[in-house]
Amino acid sequence: MPDPAVEIRDVVKRYDGHTAVRGLSLTVPRGAVYGILGPNGAGKTTTIRMVLDVIAPDEGSINVLGVPNTTRGAIDRVGYLPEERGLYRRMQVRRVLRFLAELKGVGRHEADRRIDRWLDRLGLRTADRDWGDAKVDDLSRGMQQKVQFIGALLHDPDMLILDEPFSGLDPINAQMLQDIVMELRRNGKTILFCTHMMDSAERLCDSVCIIARGAKLVDGPIARVREEHGGRRVTLELTDGTANGVAAVLADRTLVHRVNDANRIFDIELAPDADPQRLLRRLVDAGASIARFELAQASLHRIFVERVGALDTSTEANDHA
Amino acid sequence: MRKLLVVTAREYLERVRTRWFIVATVFGPIIFGLLLFVPPWIAARSQASANLARIVILDATGTDLGKRIAAELNGGIAGDTSRTDVRAVVPARLAEAESLATRQTVARETRGYLVLDSNTIAGRSARYAGSNATSGADMNEIRRVVRDEVVAMRLEQAGLDAFQSAALASMRLSLDAERITDRGRGASAKLSIFFAFGVAMLLYVSILMYGQAVLRGVIEEKQTRVAEVVVASVSPVKLLGGKVLGVGAVGLTQLVIWIGVGLTLMKMRAQVLGHFGIESTPVFLPGISPGAAVLLILFFMLGYTFYAALFAMVGATVTNDQDAQQAQVPVVMLLVVSAFALAPVLAAPESKLAYIMGWLPFSSPIIMPLRMSVVTLEPFDIAASIIILVVSCYVAVVLAARVYRTGLLMYGKRPALREVVRWMRRAG
Repeated sequence: MPDPAVEIRDVVKRYDGHTAVRGLSLTVPRGAVYGILGPNGAGKTTTIRMVLDVIAPDEGSINVLGVPNTTRGAIDRVGYLPEERGLYRRMQVRRVLRFLAELKGVGRHEADRRIDRWLDRLGLRTADRDWGDAKVDDLSRGMQQKVQFIGALLHDPDMLILDEPFSGLDPINAQMLQDIVMELRRNGKTILFCTHMMDSAERLCDSVCIIARGAKLVDGPIARVREEHGGRRVTLELTDGTANGVAAVLADRTLVHRVNDANRIFDIELAPDADPQRLLRRLVDAGASIARFELAQASLHRIFVERVGALDTSTEANDHA
Repeated sequence: MRKLLVVTAREYLERVRTRWFIVATVFGPIIFGLLLFVPPWIAARSQASANLARIVILDATGTDLGKRIAAELNGGIAGDTSRTDVRAVVPARLAEAESLATRQTVARETRGYLVLDSNTIAGRSARYAGSNATSGADMNEIRRVVRDEVVAMRLEQAGLDAFQSAALASMRLSLDAERITDRGRGASAKLSIFFAFGVAMLLYVSILMYGQAVLRGVIEEKQTRVAEVVVASVSPVKLLGGKVLGVGAVGLTQLVIWIGVGLTLMKMRAQVLGHFGIESTPVFLPGISPGAAVLLILFFMLGYTFYAALFAMVGATVTNDQDAQQAQVPVVMLLVVSAFALAPVLAAPESKLAYIMGWLPFSSPIIMPLRMSVVTLEPFDIAASIIILVVSCYVAVVLAARVYRTGLLMYGKRPALREVVRWMRRAG
């Protein structure tokens, strides 16, 4: 078992007047797509900046690809796509990319070769237009995002850190990016990404960590998180009105923890240790005319809203500070 | 080290490539060329006209003053006075004679007329009217001749003989000044002052220009969030170092081009002016020994580094250009104060003010080269100034790096001065 891609241990980061990250520990396995999820101001960007050794934690340690992240050259194996585009606006696209690659130690000729390959791949160089020769300023937001993405990949990093990668992209480009992320994963790269968009996290991630107000709430492989923290749920749909017997079954606290009644569709949270099969039998016995009985796992979205919503979010601090 | 080079190379190449750099680099020598070629050209234009003497003199003095002036205007006793029409007039008919002369001037039969009367004899005034009355050089020449002749006439009346009177009246003193340096007699004092002032202004302008370029660069990286990406690859201190080095190299390139073109133009000056038929005195450059040249470049580099660090510090604490305009005022003021001190220091290069300004790190890069060009300084004086400046540069760069590291990823409100001081204290 190789060292994890990222290992954060008991990291604390304080700013004047508030603590942005408090005692955070998490492990990103190699070759996984790992999502750090959290509301705005949860400490995601601060955490990423600490992983990248841009800012130093006040306490705790961070290892990246098996070595402390302050080791010389450790961060050169990492690619980073920031939340906001960060490109020299008056520079030619190709020169910006060459600069970013050279900063990571890629030779000039190799960089040029890779730049052309990625420009082709992302549709920035076609038969009738080579955007590599244009100035960054002349590109649309979506194109700039793609250029930024190329900049993060040129040195063929072992790990890629993406901060809100899909914001500002149209669905086609977002899909293109997702495909590349998946391809990188197949090639054994580790992808760490930050988002507050739960649906993309749910589709892409192997593991997640939900943080809020600088502390971890939940983490682990996505299936386990759902199972452990989502509760077990049943969606029940009846073909006609509720028979009296059905209401009695749903009121049985040994079977049903909570029920959300939306006319003929019920969103049922099972009681701990309750057997869904027994619930189904009881409902049939009670004379219910069942159109649908579905065992559903909670969505990340739901877990997120429930978990984070439980905290008082009114004192959100800005983690950009 | 390699990353520092990558950052430096980017700064240098991107800046040298801009239209602005090319324009400024070409424009500098053009302005310099104008300074070299236009004054002689204007001087050539402003010499008194050759046919100054083609005028009418209305002499109402009852003396031979008119004839004497005519002779002098035509080159002295041996001159041909036929071009000057001297008319003796009685004071009562002066108005009539004047209107005739006016008509002749309008008809271009003569260039103008000079009226001599009792006021002229008394040494108070004479009058001239003509088509060339706006030419300063012509009027000066006529006034000189009239004055000399009136003085000579009155000296004669007082009892001196004509020869003595003429010698006294036309006595003129001209002062040719020449500066003596360590290396013996060199260029004229005027040129030396001009040169010293030029060097100091060049340093002032370059330090201000390139210091502000660093400021703008820092703000651009913050505004466009490039800093976020770049500091994930290179440490903030290297990013700052590369920026200061790259921009400084651009400044040095420009200075070298300017000085090179300037020297070439100076050498070709006589040739070019001769081509236009203008005679010129050869320009002797004030003697710059190789040692002095090294010191000049050293002062530029140190001064630039000092101010670039201060400007970078300002840039790291602000997010937008408006804030930057305000925040840079203290730094710019330091430079402006130094520039204002140029004239007093030039007037008294060994005064107490000159000494103090030559040692203070914010003014020494401009003041010392000026002092060095006009007087010979004690080696101790120069050494002390440089040592103080080097130490100040080191402190400024270290503090700037600390502020830069903390401020680079801060957006929004400008931090209070107290907070910036706290960033400076935070080492390592």
